[in-house]
Amino acid sequence: MGNWQRLVWNQRDALMNGLVVTIHVCAIAFVLAVLGGLLLCLARMYVRPLRSVAIVLIEFFRATPILVQLLWVNYVWPPIFGWPDSFFAAAWTALAVQSSGYLAETFRSGIEAISKGQREAAFSVGMSPLLAFWRVVLPQVALSSAPSIVNQFTVIVKSSTLVSVITVQDLMYQSQKIVNIWYEPIEILTATAAIYIVFIYIVSTAGKLLADSLRRRYGIAAA
Amino acid sequence: MWDALRQALDVSVFWEYRTVLLRGLAVNFYVFAGAAALALSIGLAAALLRVSRFRLLRWIGTVHVELFRNAPDYIMVVWVYFVLPLMIGSLLHQHFELDPFVSAVIALGFVYSGYFAETFRTGIEAVPLAHFEAGRSCGMSERLILWRIVLPQVVRRMLPESINQFISLFKATTIVSLIAVPDLMYQVSMITQQEMRPLPLYTGAALTYFAVILVASSALRALSERWRNKIYA
Repeated sequence: MGNWQRLVWNQRDALMNGLVVTIHVCAIAFVLAVLGGLLLCLARMYVRPLRSVAIVLIEFFRATPILVQLLWVNYVWPPIFGWPDSFFAAAWTALAVQSSGYLAETFRSGIEAISKGQREAAFSVGMSPLLAFWRVVLPQVALSSAPSIVNQFTVIVKSSTLVSVITVQDLMYQSQKIVNIWYEPIEILTATAAIYIVFIYIVSTAGKLLADSLRRRYGIAAA
Repeated sequence: MWDALRQALDVSVFWEYRTVLLRGLAVNFYVFAGAAALALSIGLAAALLRVSRFRLLRWIGTVHVELFRNAPDYIMVVWVYFVLPLMIGSLLHQHFELDPFVSAVIALGFVYSGYFAETFRTGIEAVPLAHFEAGRSCGMSERLILWRIVLPQVVRRMLPESINQFISLFKATTIVSLIAVPDLMYQVSMITQQEMRPLPLYTGAALTYFAVILVASSALRALSERWRNKIYA
């Protein structure tokens, strides 16, 4: 147990700081991914001239591995777009970009599942298309895709372990730093894996409960 | 900006190293094949545990699934590469080492077995109870019922979802470059250090993976669709 105390418990400040960075990156990436996914989905479905661009972007984001995207965003974007200007920004951009592709497809299937009659009914009572989307379509899509959105957050957390590769000081980075100080990986890596597993388990269980209770409250049976 | 963009799209460097890079891509496929075989077999075992009659076995299956479904693949790969050999070594009282390739296959296989177990389980639970009873009333043993009645239906039902999982698994094989398995991403990083031209190399890598995964996933989807139609008809 001496090793556990020395390598894990005494390092708890570093690990906590790492966990905070992980949560920070994931939270920014998640919010941007939901917004970006919605924009991509709307562009694909309703904006004719942008349709093919949106499809290419969605497919590209979905079909490239996160590590490749992370390195690509980190090394290739700054000279071209002059941004992201820090490793931290590159990390959440890459995570957001990846997830927005998936979420765009989730939203699209949600929108397509809503019967045409509802939009027509909304138009027939004089709602503008924007209002109909906002009041009739979007709430239902949000409810029906709530579980997938929650699931996407856990995917972001899992992928966020890779941001340590571009020296963002997340939990993974801190634990590898400790490994490199003492060269005793057993305790610290096991503890890190346990922290991640417990954290993701809590997040996904809480998210599932939230999604289910929302659906129960607003009248869609839990799937 | 335009200069950088032109550099990024000038993939002549990428073409120059094509043999090394192709060999790297082949390593991606080897890791994928090994991990997929491992994930399918362990996933099936875990799914069978989860639908078992005994509470203890069901519980073991559930722990397996929750453990590996919630584990990030990167930490598992690192754990299997650095920690597992030390643990085995201290059990055997001798020096023990795992090849990076082998650890990558083990780690990814176990992580994805969690996902496959759930797919198998939903497939098994979707088979009507009457099929089991009919099998039993013809005097089939449990094993025979599993092989002849349940699994053929499960495989057909889980095809579309398992294609998604195979694709995630293939994407996950890129992280094995971080424990120095010489896959495409590893070679790209090495060449970048040598040539100091990250723009075309990383763009080339992204485009290569994009093309491979897009082609593979649409081909697999079309094939499975055709196969399913043929069998259901």
